[in-house]
Amino acid sequence: MTASSQLTATGPNTKESSAIDQEPEVPARPGPDGTEPLRERGATTAPAELRADCIADSAGGLTFDLNVPQDTHVTWSAALVLRLRGGDGADDEVRLPLGPNGAGRLRAVLPSTVALAEGRWNAYADLGDGEDPRRLLPGINDLRSLVDRRPLAGIGRLGVRIPYATKFGNLALRSWLRGPHAEAGDILVTPDGMTVSGRLYGAAPAAGARAEAWLRRTAASAEAPAVTVTVPLTVEGAEFSFTLPYAEPAGHWEDGSEPWDLWLRLTEGARPVRIARLLDDVADKKQVFTYPVMPVRTAAGHLRVGPYYTLDNDLALRVAGPAGS
Amino acid sequence: MHISFLIHNAYGIGGTIRTTFNLARTLAEQHDVEIVSVLRHRDAPVFDLGPRVALRHLVDIRENGPHYEGADPAHARPARVFPAAEVRYRQYSELTDRRIAQHLRRTEADVLVGTRPGLNVHIAKQARRGPVRMGQEHLTLDTHQPALKLALRSAYPRLDAVTTVTEADARSYRRTLRLPGVRIEAVPNSVPAPAVAAADGSGKWVVAAGRLTRVKRYDVLIRAFAQVVAARPDWRLRIYGGGTEKAALRALIDELGLYNHVFLMGPANPLESEWAKGSIAAVSSSLESFGMTIVEAMRCGLPVVATNCPHGPGEIIADGVDGKLVPVGNPQALAGSLLTLINDDDARIRMGGAALASSARFDPAMVAGRYEALFGELLARRRGSRLHCGLHRARGALLGGAYATKDAARAALRGVRTV
Repeated sequence: MTASSQLTATGPNTKESSAIDQEPEVPARPGPDGTEPLRERGATTAPAELRADCIADSAGGLTFDLNVPQDTHVTWSAALVLRLRGGDGADDEVRLPLGPNGAGRLRAVLPSTVALAEGRWNAYADLGDGEDPRRLLPGINDLRSLVDRRPLAGIGRLGVRIPYATKFGNLALRSWLRGPHAEAGDILVTPDGMTVSGRLYGAAPAAGARAEAWLRRTAASAEAPAVTVTVPLTVEGAEFSFTLPYAEPAGHWEDGSEPWDLWLRLTEGARPVRIARLLDDVADKKQVFTYPVMPVRTAAGHLRVGPYYTLDNDLALRVAGPAGS
Repeated sequence: MHISFLIHNAYGIGGTIRTTFNLARTLAEQHDVEIVSVLRHRDAPVFDLGPRVALRHLVDIRENGPHYEGADPAHARPARVFPAAEVRYRQYSELTDRRIAQHLRRTEADVLVGTRPGLNVHIAKQARRGPVRMGQEHLTLDTHQPALKLALRSAYPRLDAVTTVTEADARSYRRTLRLPGVRIEAVPNSVPAPAVAAADGSGKWVVAAGRLTRVKRYDVLIRAFAQVVAARPDWRLRIYGGGTEKAALRALIDELGLYNHVFLMGPANPLESEWAKGSIAAVSSSLESFGMTIVEAMRCGLPVVATNCPHGPGEIIADGVDGKLVPVGNPQALAGSLLTLINDDDARIRMGGAALASSARFDPAMVAGRYEALFGELLARRRGSRLHCGLHRARGALLGGAYATKDAARAALRGVRTV
């Protein structure tokens, strides 16, 4: 390494992949070095892939370490580029400087203080070589410090970033930016309803605080839903809980599967706060955190009611008609 | 040495593929190593083979590829060499018989290693004279059909060695098959050191991982965890993996009211970063040919509470030192051992440290070293026996012949190295 603007990353990727003996949800990934005899690979070899390991800290920061092929020339302007999916504004691209980490790899840091808009962010590497930024592949994500993450309740705005592999096998981040935030914890399901407990962040509830269920079908706007069900909220310090009986939402059922979104109204006239489950390492809660569905008898017939997490990890309630309706 | 592995399909996902890749990659640091895959159904292997291991296939079954051979009429005709009692029999054919035979006749390898019973039979029957013939058993003799055991019994005497992954299975081979002159040795599967730091034992999570199938008895684990939660509601369980039992396990979790404590996480790859999130690993299986997940968890610094089922766990875990062994199918016992480790932070952390240290014996370097020593001894024995047979003939011819063989072997080695 002679010129200060030229870094050569060395060290082969000897990362071991361990897997459960079954088809993963992401497409198969080949070895990083190409393990087939040259004659089989033909003359058109694709550029070597770039893989990033990611370590999370408990404050919400992420450190990326990239394996770059030997002899890759990297300039001072190299950056890890995050692009918000579907975004095209100035804030929808974030560039994090990539520099040597001392172990023959390149490092970029996303501090918790850098705000990322809520959504899915694709990760690229721009090696500063004049080529287009290249899509990064996921390496090992060490997210143990996120598993039981419990920030201080006084935090003004909560940032959550969880790296994951997309269904096409690329590296992406899910980001949430909320303040105040209502974090869902344990949910107790009974035949008549459910009790949700959780923790508030950046919120100061007053007397009259309540939980609200909004029927999504009738929502005229986010601020003024047509049909809501309201129940009182119990708050002790930062901990909250409420019990939502199923009878009233079930009574509004008309057809098919009807979702209700769940909110907290902490003070009269204040903006409602969406209840969500964000503070762990699971990028998609829907399949992992599932709850019993209870039969509820109404004038319209036998309905099935139960809580679930939406694709955005927000808490919702589903009221579904009789099977096959 | 030139070492050649023969595998069913190197492009799939499975324990045999993973452990063969680990071994091949490590042996390739010192030797010429190739993996010959009978079938190839996708462009690139899933697991990382490293840059030094050569990989090739014998029959291309990539359906949309230009070299698709699945429609060859010979591939529709049944195999005659590959034993009919093998579970993979239907994927073999006259075409695979022919290609494997051709490969085994032409190979320049010093050591041929088969990775499943049917392929071991091919090596026993069809390998050219010269190379060491080794057959690996990745499952267990006891779980094979009687008809397959008969087939192995008639073919395996022509092997130089059979390796099993446990001592228990090696004993079955010695006792049941009685193969005079065939070396039978237990060599465990290898697990590389994880790329993440070891767990520190502070998280309140129990972790399990494996396919969601009956044999894993996750129903027993979930029932055990109901007792754990009753005593320690601050602890939770994650089960990684997918499989046919998922709906039944989901229903059991709901029935026991454990949906805030027991989570079916779905498949994960790689697993090491998931083990590192836990403080105790749990294995509830009624049968483990080896117990790969036990070693993986130990290499991440977790003490493992496992059923003392056939064949592997008892050979991996030192009960009370680096983990705990409990009877099969007994939720009480499993819960009791989990709670012992949950309630005693010092013991948990001490056993986690012991697990980290003792599991180093499964490092690919250690396991490859055992294979290397075995290959060396078998090669020497083969050359020696050639010498021994020759004594019955004219002495001069013998010596000349032996030296010629040795020279030829050397030349072959040199030739291979320069390829």
